[in-house]
Amino acid sequence: MEEHLKDREREARELRRREADWNYINSLPPRLRAALVFYIETGDLYVAAKIAGLRVEEFNELRIRAGIPHVN
Amino acid sequence: MERLQELIDREREARELRRREADWNYINSLPPRVRAAIKLFIETGNLRLSQKVSGLGLEEFVEHLRRANVWVT
Amino acid sequence: MEAIADTSFLVDWARFSHRDLLFRVFRVVWIPEDVLNEVQSERTLMWIADRLASGDMSLFPLLPEYRDRALRLVELSRRGPTRGLDFPEAYCIAVAEDRGYIALSENGAAYAAQFLYTTARVWRAYEVLWELRSRGLVPDDAIFTYQEETKHKFPQRDIQRWRDCRS
Repeated sequence: MEEHLKDREREARELRRREADWNYINSLPPRLRAALVFYIETGDLYVAAKIAGLRVEEFNELRIRAGIPHVN
Repeated sequence: MERLQELIDREREARELRRREADWNYINSLPPRVRAAIKLFIETGNLRLSQKVSGLGLEEFVEHLRRANVWVT
Repeated sequence: MEAIADTSFLVDWARFSHRDLLFRVFRVVWIPEDVLNEVQSERTLMWIADRLASGDMSLFPLLPEYRDRALRLVELSRRGPTRGLDFPEAYCIAVAEDRGYIALSENGAAYAAQFLYTTARVWRAYEVLWELRSRGLVPDDAIFTYQEETKHKFPQRDIQRWRDCRS
């Protein structure tokens, strides 16, 4: 079961990496860039928002602008 | 008591080090607020108070301290 | 061992070429949310974000019980002959006291606090490097490399103590 969950996490991470608009991400200030990279790696919206210094909803909008999918 | 004296000595030595090694040419070239903040830090060693006086973010203020040869201890 | 880190420690340590050795000493390094907000530079932010992603670092929330204890520590520190604490490092010490973490701070007031009015242990980069050397993970000249790379200077008495205990 644990392997199955790890596989799902890995697939989700790869999808986020693949779909992300890296040109847009690299154009952003350091704090937002770090937060988006963190989100791509982990899918952790709450902590990513903290890194960005944004509310969760604001960060979610940023995530969408950066083309990063939310993978369930 | 001995430990307390050691701590007091450390602070005194740190202040003397900050005064002695500071790059005053660099410090005097800075805007008044940052200059005042660095002088405050040199005398008190109080990082966050000095940072607030500077009006800068903490990391930015620490960068000025580095450039001014003023050590955080 | 686990640690909780203040900004004053992180902004220097992030510049050290062997910064990830920190996680050979500490299983997890906790970062208070207020500390995260103080970090601005790309180098430090990217390092923290990477380490948060890997689980080596974790965010510590602002909790009322530790906030109250931190304020109390600030008050206590103002009564003594040494420098007073500021809230962010006092918060790290309050958490460290209760949870048995090591508080990581370069602030002199935080260092002094452990000898005067708290049972928490407070380590500077010096103590972390000392621990790394005792484990054979850094060489004898690590303290000088650290100074050079971070532009952080150690007091002369600490340098002498380091030299007196060569591995």
